[in-house]
Amino acid sequence: MRIETLLFKEIVILPELFLGLSLVYLVLHCTFLAVKKKNLLIQDSVLYLGVLVLFLSCVLVMNDCLDVLELSFLNDTIVNDYVSFSSKIVIGSLSLFCLLMMQPYLAGQKINQFEYILLILFAVLGLFLLCSSNDLLTAYLAIELQSLAFYVLASFKKTSTYSVDAGIKYFIMGAFSSSLFLFGSSLLYGVTGTINFEEFRDLLINVYPGSTINTTLPDISFFDVGLIKFGLIFILISLLFKLAIAPFHTWAPDVYEGSPSASTFFFAVVPKLAIFVLLLRIFYYSFFGFFESWRYFIVISVILSVIVGSFGGLEQRKLKSLLVYSSISHMGYALIAFSAGTLESVQMLFCYLVVYSFSGLCVWSIFLLTRVKNNSLQKQNKDLTDLVLLGKSNYMLAIFFTTVLFSVAGFPPMIGFLVKISVFLTAIESSMYFIALLSILCSVIGTFYYIRLIKILYFEKVLVGKLYHPIKLQSSVLISLLFFLFLFLFINPTILYLFSYKFSLLLSLAV
Amino acid sequence: MIINILFYLFSGILLLSSLMVILVQNSIYSVLFLVLSFISSAGILFLLKCEFLALMFIVIYVGAIAVLFLFVVMMLDVKTVSSKKDTLKYFPFGALIGGVFLTEILMVVGETFKSNPYENTFLGNFHFNWYERMDTFTEIQAIGQVVYTEYVLQFLIAGNVLLLATIAAVVLTLNTGVDSDKKQVIFRQLSRTYKNVLIV
Repeated sequence: MRIETLLFKEIVILPELFLGLSLVYLVLHCTFLAVKKKNLLIQDSVLYLGVLVLFLSCVLVMNDCLDVLELSFLNDTIVNDYVSFSSKIVIGSLSLFCLLMMQPYLAGQKINQFEYILLILFAVLGLFLLCSSNDLLTAYLAIELQSLAFYVLASFKKTSTYSVDAGIKYFIMGAFSSSLFLFGSSLLYGVTGTINFEEFRDLLINVYPGSTINTTLPDISFFDVGLIKFGLIFILISLLFKLAIAPFHTWAPDVYEGSPSASTFFFAVVPKLAIFVLLLRIFYYSFFGFFESWRYFIVISVILSVIVGSFGGLEQRKLKSLLVYSSISHMGYALIAFSAGTLESVQMLFCYLVVYSFSGLCVWSIFLLTRVKNNSLQKQNKDLTDLVLLGKSNYMLAIFFTTVLFSVAGFPPMIGFLVKISVFLTAIESSMYFIALLSILCSVIGTFYYIRLIKILYFEKVLVGKLYHPIKLQSSVLISLLFFLFLFLFINPTILYLFSYKFSLLLSLAV
Repeated sequence: MIINILFYLFSGILLLSSLMVILVQNSIYSVLFLVLSFISSAGILFLLKCEFLALMFIVIYVGAIAVLFLFVVMMLDVKTVSSKKDTLKYFPFGALIGGVFLTEILMVVGETFKSNPYENTFLGNFHFNWYERMDTFTEIQAIGQVVYTEYVLQFLIAGNVLLLATIAAVVLTLNTGVDSDKKQVIFRQLSRTYKNVLIV
């Protein structure tokens, strides 16, 4: 093996290096400023510095020259292909929007510590590394980096008992799932003697879906195959924990409700794509030969999460927990595409995740922007009735919200419908008729709670609606941009399809 | 020669202190003897040229775990109960377990060191490795060479995780002058009586 050190020619991790270095500088800057004067409010300036840093690292990502001949760097621990490239751009732009949208909320809730922004930047660094990691060790470290930031973000409001409770719950569940990941990886290392995804693929080249494993070969035995399957299940379970998919979702409603809304916004929207990229790398790139064994478990969690997501949301009276159940069912739909195992399914998975993330961005921004006046308790959560007659008090915002909700629910003219139907089509193409039927029925049931929200926005029988704080110019420009993005995607979905097609092709190039 | 003497010294301390851990009545003394046994086993590891492992023993076991034990023992306020009369009762069982472990260790040692040519001499471990004198580096050097070249990115990420953990600890514990509701009001604490306490 050629041993490489960190040279400047390793320009591939330049965005990550830049982000990490500027994080260190930001820490120093903020600490000296905070020492100079007591209780100086530097939240806003740090937020804009963070936005600048994120924007610059996004530019660096875009300027990456994708070298097709040589994809992996730093002793094959980092891979820089179109998958990591496009997912990094999506994650970067999502977190930019997140940072800009949460500014009025942070000011309103008096979360004045500058560390909040730094923690978000740390999480973004972890997600970037997770997207381009090419071995289990780097992936584990990146997961730890992002989830450690998330635990603190969840428990950031120290004066609120709910927030502390959410932080501890998130920490315990996260630590548990990380330990499962480590156990699975140690089993894989014990059997194969490597942790690199590419070497896994080269080692198991004889194993393909439908093949009877030839146990007469000296290098692979029946026992080894069983142990690999066992380890894969552990890794799968730990990543499903991180995604909050149905049998492992029980922490999600508590954590999402308890933590400050800005944190919930961040970890409901941003990290899902990165974890799906890791899932793709492990299960499609390295261990596609064991497709039949791991698909079984994924299908079970698909069914459970679609059912839980659509029936659990029916009873919710809080907007946050409704959104949690909605996200559980959406992750279930994304997992349908994941379990189909064809090229189109990977393409549709990426499409679905991008549309899910941007619509989540829109919904959560509206959640943060409608700050009710006379909210004496300064409560973080919102009842559904807090949005009553938004159609009269803020006409445009209500229209935006309605459009996005229609898209999330999957009504025909919107982009949400297009990606949803293509996910179901991939399921039908790979003969998963029962699952397609069940999830279509459940999605009809799930539509109820989106429609109920729209009914509350427009047609509630009360005389007076709520009064809201005015929305800043910056936030309103951003939210209109998001809305027009939705309209544009509905008029011209080809651009998304082209990007995702390239995404799926380069992943399958290696197979 | 000096290495052998040091080896017997450290192993003697180790045996004695680990015996004292279970024999001493006061639990704080017992934890301190545990620390002593960790340190002496670190010394033995140093003599066996496992410097990294020895330093890890001192940093992790002594620095973190034993001090944690010490805090727990000091907080729990365990009453000292004289257990002398139970010694005879538990002796056969303990002796059985100890005997089993002793035979296991003796068997392993017998299997492994069969071909040791210095077996019958007193200075059994004293031999001279010319290769080591000429071209060698220590274990820590070897680990450092791997970490700083092959796994440099992972090393940097681990450093970032530690920085994040430090920032997180500061954020979660620093009280920035804001009145939190979890403050203890001593007057209210002292003026509580049995009657006005809500019993659930």
